[in-house]
Amino acid sequence: MLDVADTSYDHADPIPSDPRDFAAKVNSWVPHDIVLKDAWFPLAHSYAVTAKPVRRAVYSQPYFLWREHGTAVAAEFHPARGLIDIKTPYSDAAGRYPVIEKYGYVWGWFGNPANAAPEHLPSLPYLPEDGGLPVHMLGTVRFDCTAPLSLENLIDLTHADFLHADVVGDEKMDKETVEVFHDSETITMVRTCVNKSVAPIMKWFGGVRSEVQQVRQVIRIYLRSHAAIAYGRFSPGDNVQLFHPCVPETRDRTRLDYAMNTSNVKKTNLFRYLMPKASYKVSRQDSYMTSPQSPRYMHPEKRKDLHSPLDEAGQKYRVLMLALAERQARGDFVYRDNVSADCSDIIGYQKT
Amino acid sequence: MAQHAWWAVARSEEVTATKPINIDIGDQPVVLWRDQDGHVRALEDRCPHRRAPLSLGCVLGNGMIQCGYHGWTFDGATGHLKNIPNLKSDAKFPPIYRANAFAVTESGGFVRVCLDGKATPPAPLEEMLPLSGTSHVALGHDPYIAALFDDPALVLAMRGVRFTPYLTTELGIEQDRLVIERSCQWAGPRWPSPFSSDFPISLRIATDPLTGESELVLRDETLAPVLTVRLAPVPAARGVTQVRWRAKLAPHRAGLMAKAMGTGTPFALHSAVDGAALRVLRPSASIHAAALRAEITATAAQSSAA
Repeated sequence: MLDVADTSYDHADPIPSDPRDFAAKVNSWVPHDIVLKDAWFPLAHSYAVTAKPVRRAVYSQPYFLWREHGTAVAAEFHPARGLIDIKTPYSDAAGRYPVIEKYGYVWGWFGNPANAAPEHLPSLPYLPEDGGLPVHMLGTVRFDCTAPLSLENLIDLTHADFLHADVVGDEKMDKETVEVFHDSETITMVRTCVNKSVAPIMKWFGGVRSEVQQVRQVIRIYLRSHAAIAYGRFSPGDNVQLFHPCVPETRDRTRLDYAMNTSNVKKTNLFRYLMPKASYKVSRQDSYMTSPQSPRYMHPEKRKDLHSPLDEAGQKYRVLMLALAERQARGDFVYRDNVSADCSDIIGYQKT
Repeated sequence: MAQHAWWAVARSEEVTATKPINIDIGDQPVVLWRDQDGHVRALEDRCPHRRAPLSLGCVLGNGMIQCGYHGWTFDGATGHLKNIPNLKSDAKFPPIYRANAFAVTESGGFVRVCLDGKATPPAPLEEMLPLSGTSHVALGHDPYIAALFDDPALVLAMRGVRFTPYLTTELGIEQDRLVIERSCQWAGPRWPSPFSSDFPISLRIATDPLTGESELVLRDETLAPVLTVRLAPVPAARGVTQVRWRAKLAPHRAGLMAKAMGTGTPFALHSAVDGAALRVLRPSASIHAAALRAEITATAAQSSAA
């Protein structure tokens, strides 16, 4: 059941209202130092987990995944070898981790096994709960950077106009607004662009003939799980429905088993098949920046990063992550907000 | 890392207005490009927004550099932030919104950068030597220069030239530079150097005590120059030394071997140093280098105090 915060700590907004306090938090950002616990991580696509074990990791903690009589299980050890090393507190007496299979993923719990609960699994409105998306809508990419940098990259979508201009269009548009919403476990950014230059991939393969589009992009990050929803509405054009998890395999390497649900696109439209594969190109473009960025965020820096008004989401993401880390350092692992409640309204998802 | 030193970090032809390049001075990454007026600009290779390397961005038509990550655009002369394209605003940014700018000077086909913006530029070189190249060597700056003094063959090659162990002058000071002259032989079937009474050519090396930038002159028996090389080693990240060089063959060279230097490649800088040979290389000429550098520095300090 859903844990309810009953500690003596205050439940005030984790984002300080004093701009100086806020800026101090933003600029004390050392993402490599943040290791959040008690979270579900989407460790593998369901189709990738079979009777033969596969190996994954969360912060270097080994997760072997396989199926027993069709049920996905996870353990610290390889089943052929059994427990040969000292068992960590992240698994039960038998070395097994809590596991849930949902949305087409096998999720493993990282943290105290006693605190694992299905209510802490993120809501992903446009992924079928029982999975079953065709494999061409799924894929795996990796980033040579710390997972929070990858998510900070995602939540500031102005980067896409420069880094991914050849896929999703450049910065030319009449107007851009960014709104940010948050609670203690999530942050949601809504970017609205008026008359934005049309995404080349939609122009070439999606049948969009116009020169400009009206764009509404939503990024919603589940902080502890390092998992993001990237939902885009394009007019004219088809909606883009991406699940973008960033599993921190180590503190400086990130695995992304993504799902791009393009079942909303006509079967005769090439965009349905090509858009999910664009991740391979886009992820290399992101790595081009985040890979050299990552070592520069490994240690505290005296110099402060500079920010623009467009960086509100990224700044708040930093502060919310730090607030969770500080709470966990005090021994408070409680979820104060419900991450599993349907977030369709929050992201503006229109079921078709 | 000497803040006031002028490091020859690039050859002129390496810096263009088409694509910025990255170099290091020690652990300090620097981005270089040429603006619309042809001036070379140097900023810290780190966008102050999200620390991405500016060298991964592009040079705009107005000569400014644009970060490839979020499009922040900087003026090369001052480092000031001039534009964030997505803001769609003409508002000026506060002075703190800037990237670190470094002083640059260009002469003789070399681009020199100084980490101290107030340092006085060196006297310009008048001549640009036509041959040039760049090597990155996995050897530290000081050991690289020591190897150059003790056995040039470990770091470079001159066509048809054998460097002997015999010095005409030991390492000393001339005009605030470390100077050494080594006897050389022409390659071919001739007596090995221990059994030769005289040597037809010699290599004079004059080295800046701070940067290690060196002028190498191969001279014949009449002391006429045969080959002149300017060699600029710069300490880079991870103990690598990046070396730029420019060279010129004398138009009139006496003797068959000297004339033959004009066919093929008269000068080459090795991109790797033979570790086995380097390990057993007996320190000889380089032994006094540190003391001589200290002497030059002390003399310079005395004269500036006076």
